[in-house]
Amino acid sequence: MIPPVISKVFSCYLALLYLNCLTDLRFYLNKTSYLCPQFSGGKLFHIGRLSTVDLEEEIDEEESVVSRPKEIPHNEKLLSLKYESLDYDNSENQLFLEEERRMSQMGFKCLEMSRWLVCALIGILTGLIACFIDIVVENLAGLKYQVIQQNIERFTETGGLSISLILWVLLNSAFVMVGSVIVAFFEPIAAGSGIPQIKCYLNGVKIPRVVRLKTLVVKVCGVICSVVGGLAVGKEGPMIHSGAVVAAGISQGRSTSLKRDFKIFEYFRRDTEKRDFVSAGAAAGVSAAFGAPVGGVLFSLEEGASFWNQMLTWRIFFASMISTFTLNFFMSIYHNKPGDFSNPGLINFGRFDSDSTEYYLYEIPLFIIMGAFGGLLGALFNVLNYWLTILRIRYIHRPCLQVMEAVLVAAVTATVSFTMIYFSDDCQPLGEDQLEEYPLQLFCADGEYNSMATAVFNTPERSVRSLFHSPAGSYNPVTLGIFTITYFFLACWTYGLTVSAGVFIPSLLIGAAWGRLFGILLASFTPHNSIQTLADPGKYALIGAAAQLGGIVRMTLSLTVIMVEATGNVTYGLPIMLVLMTAKIVGDYFVEGLYDIHIKLQSVPFLHWDAPATSHSLTAREVMSSPVTCFNLVEKVGTIVDVLSNTSTNHNGFPVVSRLSDGCEPGKICGLILRSQLIVLLKHKVFVERARSRLNQRKLQLKDFRDAYPRFPPIQSIHVSQDERECMMDLTEFMNPTPYTVTQETSLPRVFKLFRALGLRHLIVVDSDNQVVGLVTRKDLARYHLGKHGLEELQLAQT
Amino acid sequence: MVLLLKVVACFVVLLHCSRAQASSFEVNLTVLPSFIWDDVANRLNALPSILTVSPSQEPSFHSSSDLLLSSFHGDPEISDYCRELLHIFGQRYVSYVNCLVSSARPVKVCLNCFMLYNRLTDIYSNISQVGLGNESCQVTLLRSDRLMLVYELYDKITDIWKTSHCSNCLSNDSLSSDALHYMAKLNESLRCFESQKSNHSELCKECKASYKVLNDLYGRMEKNKSLCIDIEDAMNMTRILWSKSFNCSFPREETVPVIAVSSFMLFLPIIFYLSSFLHSEQKKRKLIHPKRVKSSNSLMNIQDKHS
Repeated sequence: MIPPVISKVFSCYLALLYLNCLTDLRFYLNKTSYLCPQFSGGKLFHIGRLSTVDLEEEIDEEESVVSRPKEIPHNEKLLSLKYESLDYDNSENQLFLEEERRMSQMGFKCLEMSRWLVCALIGILTGLIACFIDIVVENLAGLKYQVIQQNIERFTETGGLSISLILWVLLNSAFVMVGSVIVAFFEPIAAGSGIPQIKCYLNGVKIPRVVRLKTLVVKVCGVICSVVGGLAVGKEGPMIHSGAVVAAGISQGRSTSLKRDFKIFEYFRRDTEKRDFVSAGAAAGVSAAFGAPVGGVLFSLEEGASFWNQMLTWRIFFASMISTFTLNFFMSIYHNKPGDFSNPGLINFGRFDSDSTEYYLYEIPLFIIMGAFGGLLGALFNVLNYWLTILRIRYIHRPCLQVMEAVLVAAVTATVSFTMIYFSDDCQPLGEDQLEEYPLQLFCADGEYNSMATAVFNTPERSVRSLFHSPAGSYNPVTLGIFTITYFFLACWTYGLTVSAGVFIPSLLIGAAWGRLFGILLASFTPHNSIQTLADPGKYALIGAAAQLGGIVRMTLSLTVIMVEATGNVTYGLPIMLVLMTAKIVGDYFVEGLYDIHIKLQSVPFLHWDAPATSHSLTAREVMSSPVTCFNLVEKVGTIVDVLSNTSTNHNGFPVVSRLSDGCEPGKICGLILRSQLIVLLKHKVFVERARSRLNQRKLQLKDFRDAYPRFPPIQSIHVSQDERECMMDLTEFMNPTPYTVTQETSLPRVFKLFRALGLRHLIVVDSDNQVVGLVTRKDLARYHLGKHGLEELQLAQT
Repeated sequence: MVLLLKVVACFVVLLHCSRAQASSFEVNLTVLPSFIWDDVANRLNALPSILTVSPSQEPSFHSSSDLLLSSFHGDPEISDYCRELLHIFGQRYVSYVNCLVSSARPVKVCLNCFMLYNRLTDIYSNISQVGLGNESCQVTLLRSDRLMLVYELYDKITDIWKTSHCSNCLSNDSLSSDALHYMAKLNESLRCFESQKSNHSELCKECKASYKVLNDLYGRMEKNKSLCIDIEDAMNMTRILWSKSFNCSFPREETVPVIAVSSFMLFLPIIFYLSSFLHSEQKKRKLIHPKRVKSSNSLMNIQDKHS
């Protein structure tokens, strides 16, 4: 019996060693991959990257001719081909200019009005969704805790508490299973908090399916299930994603999923406009989650600030305000106190306004120490979660395994909670104004309750509030210590599961617990006469919560404002800012923020604020992809179809040149045309010959492009007959005649700035004769990053 | 001597009510005589003797009380009717406060004193209403000076009444049936405790039934919000007796099954991760080679430049 076990453990150990070796292997691959031979084509050259379609076989075939495809385990130094850019730069073709010219001044005013209307709608709908989540979670969780509480009470008396434990485990697992199944099988993109995804979207990366209605539905149901299932998660992060989806949906005036088109807001059907509304939606989400409208605006600013203007800020603020007001209004009706606006957000930190919660100058060093500690703990959290996520991506990628994992985590969470409560000796007398919704007595004296149960046997939001506001002495230090440690590991383990859930509340909870512990210890070390000022542990709980959250997510400005708004106390502005600063500095020394880690692990081509610091030596020539696939101004349909259907080079942007010479030299640049435009043209069969034969044919309008947005059909679905292949297509009217170009000597940081500031998707590199020599896309830029050994290059990979 | 006690009690309540701190001590001293008015104040001759706390106040206290007395005797503003009301108010106030203090521990303030409180409210409502023959004492007694003593005194005493939730135990000016029922059950339990006092383990068994009935009744009353401080306090004491003195709480005795189930649960993820680590195929990524102008122009090149 024993030898097999040992051999298993041993093999496991070997496998772990293998994992460690991968780092070295990766380095080796970095070096070799660039030595592979290149293949250059004939008349048409392929660059770029892309492909959303799976074409594994074809790629195998083609690549096997050239070189065997390298296969490496997933790691963070990859860029996935799955992700494409959004077209934040408008294609100013003739159609567009004509339409703009036709529009009167009145028309523009109406447009502006409808922007405000859309923002109001976004606010209202986001607020309503928050309301719905809150009410459902409250009721379901209430029901669950009531059932378990009664069960525990019964079995405390008669014996058989292990049955209560099993009941608790089963209830939790059932809820989490539902939540995890809908996420894993129906919409995997709805997993996690959604903040990294929205961050990417605002950065200009098109994450497939991230703003669909289906995602919203799965997200809302999923978050309800995971919170009710008792996981160490919060419902605040997903609110941001929900807000963004609402915004992307409303602003389009139709739902592709429901196949309903309301024929309104058609002007907004393009990436540029949609992006503005999505940032408003994200802000509205933050605002509904924390009751922090200004924090919401600043969150959008901080996370998606590459494209911004003042008017937009004001509109986003409007959406945020409406959202928090809507939530407040409907919650007040739900609580039967219409007009009592005391629920501005999903999480209510309660008010810190009594005298004992003031802080003094001499406490600021203490706060800074707490900030540093929060940064350390946050870094530890992130490192652990990083390894866990790598393990998950590599080995737990099948949906059924993911569901199993989530269910196991739920079961363990319940077990650990129960064990902690069972073995806790910390009994506190019941107060008159019960902060404890579901007090558990267990082995405490009658009239007392188990204080560990307040922290664990409760929704996380309530626990946070109880840690902030319970009077001094409600928790004993041992309880808090054990709670902090277990919850830290549980939260770390939970984040990244295939359930939709956020990390804000668990971080706050961990921080509040050790912050309170810190406060209690501090009070016990100080001489008795100064206890009055140091005694309030709630204050330290708040600072600890801020430090921990800052250490994990590393947000700065927006988080400060969110915390200040959520506590409703501006006095704490300075301490919270200092704490978040310290936490970020200390944390960044070790590892990046949690969201950035997850973005990297998803292999998203994310453009940071600036180009890597040491990249000035690189020029556009080294960065660009070359040679470029170009089209003539008047191009043969067959050629276009062939290029578009070439699955190995799924390009999206094609420079249009005056005349493609017979050699490899492309002609002078005339413009840029996108795949999506070509597909619409092919679909409507806008051929030169057709136009001649049927003069009465309706002229293609911008509306036709908008109708196809955002889900352009794949090229395979468009049938082009053999005759039609011989036709010609005139691209003059449809291409963007004024694309941005740079010369080959432009430095990388300069190219980067253009990309980041203008939201470009393609940047054409030309030589002195204005001939196309290369094309820079997002992935060409995103692959450079500053690693431990200087500038490093990421690999492109198929995921 | 009884009188002395009464006055002291009165004084203590006053101090308590106004949440007075050391600084307002003197204010209270001067307040006292004016509230008790003439004949009550006459009986207060003993007062100075207990007020030796601040001897410097003594002369001024005498003179001020004399002054007040003499000036108010001929005051045309106060009618005899109001004076009479005030007198009664004072008497009832003293008796109520007296009752409160004597039933402070263990708390019996509702059961013992509710009658006195009702009488006090009666007389206060008389004062605050428009009285006989168009005569109103409301203005003269309640609102004619900055101190508004009668009002303040009554207000403080009402606060105590409210915080004690006494009205929950009353119905129609008498104890509610719930409260009476509870008291009966309480006595039952306490009698049981008394009889089994010698042997605690016996007591836990014998009195469990009556204690459980009591506890459940309390739980029900808590839900109905029909608890007053007397009942709460009595229950607290009984619970402390039961759980701490007699040690009859539930023991933690099924540790083994709980540990077994928990360790089984904790073991599951280990199995899960090991098996998926060993049996699930590792996800590999296919690398794609981008097309560049010069293939050598890549990482090595960069590193060269930087080295």
